[in-house]
Amino acid sequence: MQISWIQAIILGLFACLSSMPGMGGSSIGNYTLGRPLIGGLVCGIILGDIPTGIMVGCAMQVVYIALVTPGGTVSADVRAVSYIGIPLAMVALSSYGLSADSSEGAALATSFGTMVGTLGTVLFYGTATVNLLWQHMGWKAVEKRQYKKLYMIDMGLPWISHLLCSFIPTMIMCKMGASVVELIKTTLPMDGLAMKTLFTVGALLPCVGIAILLKQIVKNGTDFIPFLFGFTLAASMGINLVSATVVAGMFAILIYRLKMLSANRTVAADGYEEEEEDI
Amino acid sequence: MEKKLSKKALSKSFHNWYYGHLTCFSQEHMQTFGYLCSMLPLVEELYDNEEDKAAAMNTYTAFFNTEPQLGTVVVGITAGLEEARANGAEDVDEETINGLRAGLMGPIAGIGDSLVVGTVIPILLGIAMGMSTGGSPLGAIFYIIVWTLFAYFGMRFMYFKGYALGGKAVDFLIGTQGEALREAISTLGGIVIGAVSATWVSVTTSLQLLNDAGEPYLVLQDKLDSVFPGLLTAVFIIICWFLMAKKKMTPIKVMLVLVIVAFLGVLAGFFNPGLAY
Repeated sequence: MQISWIQAIILGLFACLSSMPGMGGSSIGNYTLGRPLIGGLVCGIILGDIPTGIMVGCAMQVVYIALVTPGGTVSADVRAVSYIGIPLAMVALSSYGLSADSSEGAALATSFGTMVGTLGTVLFYGTATVNLLWQHMGWKAVEKRQYKKLYMIDMGLPWISHLLCSFIPTMIMCKMGASVVELIKTTLPMDGLAMKTLFTVGALLPCVGIAILLKQIVKNGTDFIPFLFGFTLAASMGINLVSATVVAGMFAILIYRLKMLSANRTVAADGYEEEEEDI
Repeated sequence: MEKKLSKKALSKSFHNWYYGHLTCFSQEHMQTFGYLCSMLPLVEELYDNEEDKAAAMNTYTAFFNTEPQLGTVVVGITAGLEEARANGAEDVDEETINGLRAGLMGPIAGIGDSLVVGTVIPILLGIAMGMSTGGSPLGAIFYIIVWTLFAYFGMRFMYFKGYALGGKAVDFLIGTQGEALREAISTLGGIVIGAVSATWVSVTTSLQLLNDAGEPYLVLQDKLDSVFPGLLTAVFIIICWFLMAKKKMTPIKVMLVLVIVAFLGVLAGFFNPGLAY
């Protein structure tokens, strides 16, 4: 599989839209186009192989299922994961002749994606730094009371930051990546230590993604029970994800009702009723 | 005459925030410029005098950063406060507005990060991945539609609730009902994430002990799975959680630890992805 210049340019544009301070806005850019699953669909359409794109996207999505960026600290950059990592993983899969739905295919995709994603944090800091330039102009505009300029500064000029830090790196890495993949393939044999490690890392990495998420939910040992309950539903009982969500929803309703019941009791015991409000 | 913000100005302010809160992000000022852009249509409608405009805009040059989607409620609240200030309310000045903004930034970021980004999005992605098994685009399309509608209308709701109710709008987030809701959703999230990891994460060992005849008499993976299916996967996830939550390691450091574990494991014959041309 080769990536043409036109394809590389379109991938570059999506990288501009989808990164954390992205030109698509957070909800559509970062949280939709930037998610690897959606990136997989987009890359699949651009490169003309939707099933492979989706499967590679799914494999990488597990690692980044809980990509929270508290206070602007990033451990991976979604534009790099979704629009450099996924296309290159697709190229690598076709070059190695692996199927994306095999566990080796998923491991290769995950290793590639994570490597690129971690290096991609450079792009994040790059964009944020170039934006300082526009913000400097912004303060001048505020001082001179030329408020209309703020729109240009907030929504127009950052395109230049992205041209430098999203568009060009993505385009070049996607275009040149295919030959690098070939190079890796010829220098590192599949049954050698390096490749075995790479594939093993690919299988282990999703654990980090899940653990980041658990960090949000689990405060002490008993908080692990819902997680292990869900794990058992799928691993031991073979229940699929949509059905598991329905079961989980049932428990959520029970907990909500119980909490509200005990809260209302305390209120009643205190001698006054609080008005019910609708959300 | 009482000044009242028009629906048009409020809507413009909301859309400026919806789209522009992070477009011009830097580590130094984060969402400050997005905030200025979303207050501008309001300030321009409320004040005729250049001096008053400048004074109002100056309020919002203070640093702002929170979880931007849930944080829409703060923008809505300040829209209401700015309207009150333009009408001459004595208890609303630059200090009260910025005190409120600074006070809400932290709690809203905490709730937004854990509830919206840490729970709602992963649940939606989990369901979407289930629908996309085998390479079907259905799950991805499902996520695009559901999340986009949820984010847009959710944020719109937060903005106008904030504008109408002021500080009361955040009560339901931090009150009893909000707490019950948060606990329920986080349990839901925990269960779904458990199912996601059992479905999509697979850590397996290739370790086996051979008898004299060269036949394996102990296949470790089978033994582990007979105790609890997927045991090794669950153990690795919990170790990663332990390293990050208890040992305060960053995700990147944990990833490096895994690289070393993988390397040693391959050397020892514990891991073998079984590759061949």
